[in-house]
Amino acid sequence: MRPQKALTFWCAVLGIIVILTACASFLSSYGPNDMNLDEVYVSPGEDHLLGTDHLGRDVFSRLLEGGKVTLTVASVSVLLSLVIGILYGGISGYVGGAVDTVMMRFLEALITIPSLIIILAFQAFMQGGMWSMALIIGITGWLVTARIVRSEFIRLKDAEFVKMATMFGTPIWKILFGHMLRNSVPAIFIVTLFNFAGAIFIEVSLSFLGIGVPPAIPSWGNMLYYAQNDILIGAWWIGLFPGVMIFVTILAINFIGEALKNPERRRLDA
Amino acid sequence: MTVKWIGKRMVMGMIVLLIVSFLSFFIMHAAPGDPAAAFYGGNAQTLNAAEKERISRVFSLDRPVIAQYGTWLAETVKGNFGVSYKEGRPVSTILFERLPNTLLLFGVTMFFIIVGSIWLGTAAGMKAGSVWDKGLSTVSIVTSSIPAFWLGILFISFFAVNLGILPSSGSGDIGDEGGFWDKLRYLIMPATVIILTHVGIYARFLQESIKVESRNYYVTVARANGIAERVIRKGILRNASIPYLNYIGMTIPSFFGGSIIVESLFSWAGLGQLTVKSVITKDFPLLMGGILLTGLIVVVSLFVIDLIMYVVNPRLRKGDVR
Repeated sequence: MRPQKALTFWCAVLGIIVILTACASFLSSYGPNDMNLDEVYVSPGEDHLLGTDHLGRDVFSRLLEGGKVTLTVASVSVLLSLVIGILYGGISGYVGGAVDTVMMRFLEALITIPSLIIILAFQAFMQGGMWSMALIIGITGWLVTARIVRSEFIRLKDAEFVKMATMFGTPIWKILFGHMLRNSVPAIFIVTLFNFAGAIFIEVSLSFLGIGVPPAIPSWGNMLYYAQNDILIGAWWIGLFPGVMIFVTILAINFIGEALKNPERRRLDA
Repeated sequence: MTVKWIGKRMVMGMIVLLIVSFLSFFIMHAAPGDPAAAFYGGNAQTLNAAEKERISRVFSLDRPVIAQYGTWLAETVKGNFGVSYKEGRPVSTILFERLPNTLLLFGVTMFFIIVGSIWLGTAAGMKAGSVWDKGLSTVSIVTSSIPAFWLGILFISFFAVNLGILPSSGSGDIGDEGGFWDKLRYLIMPATVIILTHVGIYARFLQESIKVESRNYYVTVARANGIAERVIRKGILRNASIPYLNYIGMTIPSFFGGSIIVESLFSWAGLGQLTVKSVITKDFPLLMGGILLTGLIVVVSLFVIDLIMYVVNPRLRKGDVR
């Protein structure tokens, strides 16, 4: 596929997933938590499009509802990490000097700690709902964003138009937001996109381990957590579909990110 | 120069470990509820105020937090991680039982990922525009988008449930009837899952840095001077390996995160599974020990990669970079 076509295609895929999950309550004929013990482990068919799980809950409606939860957690956490990353990277890049050195050393140290470890430690006592999950993922996921913002700010600080603006006495907030931040948007957008995929991965992984979103709320990760046992008795549909959804969502995000990444630009992840 | 450089790296590693220790200590300290109550679990209601106070004193919980941290750190450095709440055994004993399994899984997967990605990456990168080149770019994105644990579930369903040729979980034990081969059978699935989901993205990184390197002026000049293609390739590969090594170093932390999940899925008796279990059972001393040891492994492996880079890259030795 040509790059432009590929971009359109994957955007459409992602759009469909988002719309489907957002309209979860209209599209499914069963409630995501409606149990029916007469119909446990029904294979996919007419009545239940994607079958039912160990409590007779409809997999299709749980899949849509779960997507809503997973994508909401990921979006909120990414927004949070975006704000922290812009603030941290912006200050470090704009102020420069010793402040920059100290802030970057600190960031380098943080980046070597597996973020999953930090999240596990938090989860040990938070065990809250989906919002606390989003909070934790957000406050551990801003490191790369901060790095990108910093390098963009350092590059733009020396750009001619910024120097001109300073010369003309443009107020500093206008330079910061109107010139520097606005010109960093493409780079920030791409790193945020990959962050979004990462946030989905973490939410799904934690829920899969049974320490993420509480079991009462369906999420793609939670569904896979129960699927571990179901798969052993041959109920493959419970584990297959949430995984496919996660896979396709992350795939779409990665392909969109790749298509937007301009090869002429410096490597973003360096 | 070398000594100074190594010293600098080591200081950085110590700072990282200090941050990890801060995190693990203060996070546990911030945990809601009375530690005395937590220690007694279900029987906590039967304690009266005086007994609670006595427990606080015995465990030094009435001292300032920073003093507690200092004492804890001093003991930890000596290798005393405390006693597990649930198992009643010293944490260090439990950790050292688990360590070989984690190192085995880490070593085997890292070895195959590096060998595989160098092979694939070189094949694709040296022939820009070929089927290999385009194929790898797509395949690597696809494989890296698969959640490793989901692939694991599919593997279990296929190889363990349907075909019944591989064990679905556990890690066997050296010294059991099967010995080494037994262990290998348990290792195959978790290792394959990790390798399959990671090898593509590393290969792709090498492929891209080879392509960037091949466009350099010195390559054209060497070719114009009629230098053997084999020699040119060797030069390109050597220069391209520096960003590649850097990339491996950068991704090791998240690589560890991924293996925690795979370990739990396959009940591989390693550190990752232990850490997750201690989160679920709220076994704080064990959790703190697990976090610290994982941090230590990451720091040590980063140090090893730094050393390799130092050997490969002469510019680093001259003190040009950093």
